[in-house]
Amino acid sequence: MTLLGLVRFTARGLGRRPIRTILTVLGLAALILTYVSVQSLVSTLEINVTGSVSSLGGEIDVWQKGTVFPLFSKIPESYANVVKNITGVGLATPVALQELLVDNSNEAVVAGIVPTQLSHIINYTMVAGTMITSNQSGILAIGKALATAIGKNAGEVIQLDVNSYSISGVYETNTWIDYSVIIPHIVAQKLFGFANQTSMIVVTTKDPRNTNTIIGQIRTLLPTADAFRTSEAPSKISPIFASLETIATDITIVVSLSAVLGIMNSNLNNLRERMRAFAIFKATGASSSQIIRLVIYESLLIGVLGTLLGLGISYAVLKFVSIPIAQSISVAVILVPSTFIYAILLAISVSLLAAIYPALRIARVRPQEVFRFG
Amino acid sequence: MDDKVILRTEGLSKTYGNGPERTIALDSVSLQVDRGKLLAIYGPSGSGKTTLLFLLGGLDKPTSGRIYFDGVEVTSMNERRLSRLRRNAIGFVFQNYNLVDELTVIENVMLSMMFEGKSEREMNTRAEQLLHHVGIAGKERRRPSQLSAGEQQRVSVARAIANGPQLVLMDEPTGNLDQENSEELMRLVTEMIQGEGATCIVATHNLDIVHEAHSNIFLKSGRIVSG
Repeated sequence: MTLLGLVRFTARGLGRRPIRTILTVLGLAALILTYVSVQSLVSTLEINVTGSVSSLGGEIDVWQKGTVFPLFSKIPESYANVVKNITGVGLATPVALQELLVDNSNEAVVAGIVPTQLSHIINYTMVAGTMITSNQSGILAIGKALATAIGKNAGEVIQLDVNSYSISGVYETNTWIDYSVIIPHIVAQKLFGFANQTSMIVVTTKDPRNTNTIIGQIRTLLPTADAFRTSEAPSKISPIFASLETIATDITIVVSLSAVLGIMNSNLNNLRERMRAFAIFKATGASSSQIIRLVIYESLLIGVLGTLLGLGISYAVLKFVSIPIAQSISVAVILVPSTFIYAILLAISVSLLAAIYPALRIARVRPQEVFRFG
Repeated sequence: MDDKVILRTEGLSKTYGNGPERTIALDSVSLQVDRGKLLAIYGPSGSGKTTLLFLLGGLDKPTSGRIYFDGVEVTSMNERRLSRLRRNAIGFVFQNYNLVDELTVIENVMLSMMFEGKSEREMNTRAEQLLHHVGIAGKERRRPSQLSAGEQQRVSVARAIANGPQLVLMDEPTGNLDQENSEELMRLVTEMIQGEGATCIVATHNLDIVHEAHSNIFLKSGRIVSG
């Protein structure tokens, strides 16, 4: 039998059992929706947290040992020079962080950064005014989301705790940093009471392949500090975040297993009802392999329909969902293409797995027994 | 082997079960069938007629003995070769028709051609010709259950000869038909033998068929009593 003939035959067969076909397709679509939703929510959180809290453009972050959040970290500023002298380090710059009351109304992260290093560690675009360029006190740059929240723009004055600052410009990064202010590092040290201290050091390497070696050297040279890859920051921030991916994987496994068993049961019942038809196929010359292919194509066809429906629903639903991640900031769910590709592979695999055992069983059908005993 | 012999069996036996539960369905059946002839197998119910047909058609394996089809031993063939043999060289007609009601009449006729891998156009043309020949023209898109008993049996005859088989095995083909339909069916069988050059083996209780056949054998308790 030709492949096209089998697919046509299968398609006609599915059309004649619409209820079963629709229910199975919906089951697979639900699996896809669950998978894509869970993975997209985790990805969105990961991307936003990674992209804002710790990832200031470096490959390595250095925090105080034992802290779980950079806002609680305090290390000597001189550590930056120690790190800078390690072979293979491109940049080592201190960043001071603290949460302060802005304009007596909103709490926001204030980041003290060396102005000359700003462009190396933050990927921003100015939407109004200019970025801070010197250690001059009394000026700051503000993130677009925070500026919108407090209704201020470039050239205006805002309060940080009890001090007044002039806004030099409004920047946009599309991360949490949009809900923060940036001031010169030296100014931040005074404001936060960090004499010769800072919160963290952001490190870039000349060759990313040496990252692990450099991390090892930092840990040796600075025993009171912890160095790690920027991408590991989310798990540093919260152990719960680290287990989120595990939970998502567990959910996927449980839902997939349920889908495999459910569809396999449906396939077995369906094939049992059609035992006589398969016995006739054998009597008219179908080989076992043709019958196996027939059952598998049928299941794959349902898999394709379920996948298409599931992907469509997932895209339509998640495109309009946003997650609140900070005061007045919600981020749209990020639809990562690889999630959709894995969803397709998952649904096709589920369809295939659910078909193999029923196909092997039905291929062993003995026409003489079916015709005699039903 | 004689060229005019299409089918030959040697000491064909089939038993079901073991020990005291053992049932002998066929006991040392040896026969030969000439090409292009009609052989009738008759006998009381439970005499082994259907078992013999299933063995001859490669749907079941004998407990002992051999079957030669066109000089080639069938009993030692693997599943794949047996499938090919059923597809290309053997057609079945059953008492209860065994049509697939999920499929239309024309799709039922196309089944063995589809498993053979013939093109859609070729299958359609051949199936339409056959259905026209057996008097079902105009009902190709109906489901088998929408046809009368006689029509369904004619469709199953069309399906059996779709791939131009050398051998057609018929198990009580007139068992569910009235006199008129039985005669019509046998007219088709005769045409099939003459037109397509097929050999027919019919298991039947119908003595008219036994008398019309070129040869016959009488089975009783799994043994050939006469013929």
